[in-house]
Amino acid sequence: MVDKGQVIRLCRSLLRAGRQLPDYNIREYAKRRTFDGFRMNKNLTDHSKVEKAYAEGKKQLEVVERVVKVYLAYPPKTKNIMELKLH
Amino acid sequence: MASKAIFSTIRRSLTKPRGGAVSRGHHLSTSAATASESYAGDEHAIVMKGVRISGRPLYLDMQSTTPLDPRVFDAMNASSIYDYGNPHSRTHLYGWEAENAVEVARIQVAKLIGASPKEIVFLSGATEANNTVVKGVMHFYKDKKRHVITTQTEHKCVLDSCRHLQQEGFEVTYLPVKTDGLVDLEMLRDSIRPDTGLVSVMAVNNEIGVVQPMEEIGRICKEHKIPFHTDAAQAIGKIPVDVEKWNVSFMSMSGHKIYGPKGVGAMYVRRRPRVRLEPLMNGGGQERGLRSGTLATQQVVGFGVACELAMKEMEYDEKWIKRLQERLLNGVREKLDGVVVNGSLESRYAGNLNLSFAYVEGESLLMGLKEVAVSSGSACTSASLEPSYVLRALGVDEDMAHTSIRFGIGRFTTEEEIDKAVELTVKQVDKLREMSPLYEMVKDGIDIKNIQWSQH
Repeated sequence: MVDKGQVIRLCRSLLRAGRQLPDYNIREYAKRRTFDGFRMNKNLTDHSKVEKAYAEGKKQLEVVERVVKVYLAYPPKTKNIMELKLH
Repeated sequence: MASKAIFSTIRRSLTKPRGGAVSRGHHLSTSAATASESYAGDEHAIVMKGVRISGRPLYLDMQSTTPLDPRVFDAMNASSIYDYGNPHSRTHLYGWEAENAVEVARIQVAKLIGASPKEIVFLSGATEANNTVVKGVMHFYKDKKRHVITTQTEHKCVLDSCRHLQQEGFEVTYLPVKTDGLVDLEMLRDSIRPDTGLVSVMAVNNEIGVVQPMEEIGRICKEHKIPFHTDAAQAIGKIPVDVEKWNVSFMSMSGHKIYGPKGVGAMYVRRRPRVRLEPLMNGGGQERGLRSGTLATQQVVGFGVACELAMKEMEYDEKWIKRLQERLLNGVREKLDGVVVNGSLESRYAGNLNLSFAYVEGESLLMGLKEVAVSSGSACTSASLEPSYVLRALGVDEDMAHTSIRFGIGRFTTEEEIDKAVELTVKQVDKLREMSPLYEMVKDGIDIKNIQWSQH
């Protein structure tokens, strides 16, 4: 049985992992998709559906953590224009 | 605790202020003023091909290719490490594992388009698929069928294959399109002859983004029992695609347009009713004899995962992209007049916005938009000097065709990028219009088309 605390912890870990992605577009997408993904499943009451969504979220967390490791192993040499501070 | 606070304030006051000191020297420089403002850390600007930009541009060219989705990347990594066997080796585990991976990908692709996995053939991309279908079908039926129908706005590979067929002696009808980019169904019906062997119409155009009336065309082809081929490279994963509803016999798909890897694509070949096709690549008979050659397992796996993702995320992405498209169009229209959308606005894929700006010269517009990675329908992106043939088929005037810009919005585009693109475009267009004597004349009310230019 998945409880509310576990779901919140999963959301927080996904957001924290996504924040480390070096590419601007993918980082923003990870943040938005995590929020929207949890928001869309907010009102699920059926236990099996909740379990399924939680398992899916855990799988995505593993994917993000693996991907972050590989992306950081090849750091980008230039910054995206959106990341530079404008003067 | 208090000492920590004291030390941190001391540390803060000792370190350099961010950025300000660095760029203060720049405002006195008399170097050529470019459209970009000076960014902090301008010493790290990128200089390539004679152009200096302060950072990587915003990517708004999703129709030419898309970045690799990290989930696809993850699946491909695992596959390239372990699935190195030849999927066609039947005798050992390595072959069986690779074959399993390919079959899983086949099921994923088939589910996206509503087909059976046995009808999917993997190859190197949509260009190869288009070539195989157009040339292969006509060569197979060359005794009875000598006529092909296609449109003027097709992708270059289809048009070039048709030209190749013309040189071999076949006849090709290039259907004109209406001004909104859609095919005229009556004209299609009229051009069908008893010896028509293939009708080829692309589902979503890569330059203007219009969605053709696929169900109606499919119905017409079914009536006359002609195989219907569609180049759906820009359509799969973006609009709902169903080979039964559209009644297509052949479909070309590409991996790198749906956040998958480059170098892989697929071809759908209908099995019921059976359509025959002469293969382009002869060899060991892989892929039902239609495309011989060892499959690139990791590319195929990546393509499969990309298709599965596209199916799951289609609705979510569509809502987001539609929202960004409206933001872009409204943002530009609020600040500028003389903005024309090329192609029908209703029957359109939201992620492709092709705009023409009146009274502005195309190449100078592109030169000023170096911080936005977009594509244009004008001469400077092609080797020859003529404007894009798609815009010409729409009946767009030469000067408007030259100033067209294609904004491609995708899954990873952010609102801030759209706002920045709007800001940069508006600024550049305003700057060019201010310098333009033609625009002054228009503002004074003179009609440009009726001017008698004096000859010296």
